[in-house]
Amino acid sequence: MLPQVFASGLSAGSIYALMALALVITYKTTEVPNFAQGDMAMVSAFIAYMFLTDFETGFIFAFGAALVFAFLLGVGFEGLLLRRMRKPTHLNLIIMTLGFTLALFGFAGWKWGADQRQFPFPVSANEVIRFGSVSISTLSVATILIAGILMLLVFAFFRFTKLGVAMQATQQDPIAARINGVPARAVVGLTFGISSVIGTVAALLTAPLITLDPTLMWDALLKGFAAAVLGGLNTPVGAVLGGYLLGVIENLFGAYVSVEFKSVVAFLIIVIVLWFRPSGLFGRHHERKV
Amino acid sequence: MRFGGLTALDDVSFEVDRGMIFSIIGPNGSGKSTAFNCISGIYQPTAGKIYFEGEGISGLAPHHIARLGIARTFQNIELFSTETTIDNLMLGRHQHMHSGVWSGVAMLGRATSAAREETENRERVQWIIELLDLVQVRDRPVGELPYGTQKRVELARALAMEPKLLLVDEPSAGMNADERAEVAVRMRELRAELDVTILLIEHHVQLAIGLADRVLALNFGKPIAQGAPEEIRQHPEVIKAYLGDG
Amino acid sequence: MIEPIRDHYEDIQLFTARGSWIKLVLLLVVLVSLPLLLPGYRVFTLNYMAVFVIVGLGMNVLVGYTGQVSLGHAGFLAIGAYTMVLLMTRLAVPFPFALVMAGFVSALFGFLLGLPALRLAGPYLAIATLGFGLAVTQIIGHSALFGGHMGLVVPDATVGPFPLSGDVSKYYVIVGITFVLALGVRNLSVTRVGRAFRAIRDSEIAAATMGVDVAYYKTLSFAVSAALTGVAGGLLALMTGFISPGVFTFTLSLMFLAMVVFGGLGSITGAVLGSIVMGYLNLEMDAFQELPVLGPALESFSERFMSTVGLPNFGWVVTGMLIVFTILIEPQGLYGLWIRALDTMKRSKNADAELSRPGSGAD
Repeated sequence: MLPQVFASGLSAGSIYALMALALVITYKTTEVPNFAQGDMAMVSAFIAYMFLTDFETGFIFAFGAALVFAFLLGVGFEGLLLRRMRKPTHLNLIIMTLGFTLALFGFAGWKWGADQRQFPFPVSANEVIRFGSVSISTLSVATILIAGILMLLVFAFFRFTKLGVAMQATQQDPIAARINGVPARAVVGLTFGISSVIGTVAALLTAPLITLDPTLMWDALLKGFAAAVLGGLNTPVGAVLGGYLLGVIENLFGAYVSVEFKSVVAFLIIVIVLWFRPSGLFGRHHERKV
Repeated sequence: MRFGGLTALDDVSFEVDRGMIFSIIGPNGSGKSTAFNCISGIYQPTAGKIYFEGEGISGLAPHHIARLGIARTFQNIELFSTETTIDNLMLGRHQHMHSGVWSGVAMLGRATSAAREETENRERVQWIIELLDLVQVRDRPVGELPYGTQKRVELARALAMEPKLLLVDEPSAGMNADERAEVAVRMRELRAELDVTILLIEHHVQLAIGLADRVLALNFGKPIAQGAPEEIRQHPEVIKAYLGDG
Repeated sequence: MIEPIRDHYEDIQLFTARGSWIKLVLLLVVLVSLPLLLPGYRVFTLNYMAVFVIVGLGMNVLVGYTGQVSLGHAGFLAIGAYTMVLLMTRLAVPFPFALVMAGFVSALFGFLLGLPALRLAGPYLAIATLGFGLAVTQIIGHSALFGGHMGLVVPDATVGPFPLSGDVSKYYVIVGITFVLALGVRNLSVTRVGRAFRAIRDSEIAAATMGVDVAYYKTLSFAVSAALTGVAGGLLALMTGFISPGVFTFTLSLMFLAMVVFGGLGSITGAVLGSIVMGYLNLEMDAFQELPVLGPALESFSERFMSTVGLPNFGWVVTGMLIVFTILIEPQGLYGLWIRALDTMKRSKNADAELSRPGSGAD
């Protein structure tokens, strides 16, 4: 039983980790917690659905189109809305993302209705692979693998490519980076684009599991935040670890304590962790100079 | 006072007598503001103790320290920028007032306790408004006021607390020679009329020395000289510290 | 010239000009006569908007004054509603007392949420309140005590000897309470506590060094805000007759935030205006097609590009865009626009006065 629970915990945790990573990437650069991340990903998933059903393209094309859309959506959101704010206080930035998420949510509901749809996916949630005594659904395996590979790619990008390193530099010291010729604005826009793509992958992996409707990513967004908070909003590695941890804990709780209140675990974790470490387990607190 | 690996204040010790004007001078980064932040309770000193009127205050929360009679201004202005001048001053009266949620909500008419408290305290701060030449801007949001006026509002706000000890952080920052002279005059006036003890941080050595009864010079968090103004002015260490700083 | 002695009470007086009294009387006359002039379902709409106004007042105290974000106020609405209903059904508590208890219990939860909130900065606080709101609805939805997903029916209410049946009688209670609460909040804002709240938003450190116990006031603001929202919850239960977890959604919490942002954070007038607009919007979302002119246009647009069944979601689009454009263009919301309009009028009046002054060289 335990390895089973652990496996489904890893699978759910992969989604949370992806969301947490997406959130932390933009937070590190702009100090904006992007509450619209979930619905941005949801709309992108709907785009994929549209390509699959209305235009009847293959999976690869549809997913590719969704990712491109996601990237543009992220860049567009940052460039057209966030950057043009008159008074970009932290409170206002948060509210801006909330407004955007509401508009996206409404748009999705308007365009596609609130019907719940089955999301066609190349890998099924119903077939299982057996590892010894443990059987895991092929979807879960795919989720763990795809999420893991994507995260490794993202880390590699930031660590080893010229562009990625430049982006990291901008995060850490915007002025020095600009002196060295890194265009700060492009970096920020790019960050939102990448983050949106990561979130969309999470959505595409979530959609076949539960039905596709505008509320698709609400749960994942909250869990993503919980995971990011666990890790500390400014450490990507911490956030990802937090995601896996949350997935496993949640499933353990659901299996051994109570299925009904499984989702409350995320909230409890947030409260407990933040009570003892207000900046997350691995985060660092920023002191203002007076 | 240590922050992680950085020692901001090292073995700094001084005494301020009642009614004195005491100046702390030193180049940028010498720990002057840190000392203020320790006294006003924003930082907890990692070593050493602070006493006010015989009672230990190190480690107390800022609002406790305020209630003991210590007020301060800030180097980078920390005004309530969306509030008017008079409301900023009225916040200085916060600890002298009592109305809470229930009495605040039930303020119906002049005679209620909350209303009387409001009018009485506004009358009380009127003289500060006149003293610091803020009559014109009394009802304007302070965020839109010019820098020099904002500095006066900060000072007025601290005075509204009717403090026993006033910590003034770089009162002459950003000012020219004439304005600095005004600051000096004003400080002396305040001490004379209000019987308040003034502890002053000043980057500008001439102003500090001309004004103070006693001076402490810091450099890199360490005390380099302490004593009467004339001694400090001629003290070789002090001159060296400032020459290096330009 | 001798300066006239200043009447300091003017600063906090509600009516500074004699004309204001007349405006108040007019307003009262309008408010009292509205339900008698309008058809029944419109009175329901007014009740709904009034409930939103109370929540708006509460949100304004928390977000507008102390600057703490809440994404979970639907949770307090739920706590107030369920407290009142349970007291009335299980313990036969009369309505007025049950309503007051709704406020107190909600305030208690506000205080409890405010405590951990002290340590949390902006985004963390928002997330924590988000979690709170969801947790409340989860717990309610899964407990038999609260009627689970099926919800609870609200029993008939009486105020003393008067039964509250029908929208009109409920209107007078709801709008009356709204009026009183608005007055109370206004009074609070011009006295010591209100000032302390706003000081915390502008500069916590300065507030602390002036003797403001920041921790106390921050939690107090949560409690006051929750109390107001809890009372609104009780009144919502009264007017709809039925409550279930499905009412108290995350999107509702977002709408609550939207209305004070749109109205103008930190301004009571703004909060009231924003709440009225959003309350109306939230209620009418199912009936967009019935709007004059715009309705049919929306319908045909939906048929061609969107889905007709999803048209109510247009309300969320509007709400979201209102927030976006408010933040983008006029961060002070409706109230800011109002101030700007007044300013322009004043300036043009001054300009006219300049021109008509003899010797001003205008001709």
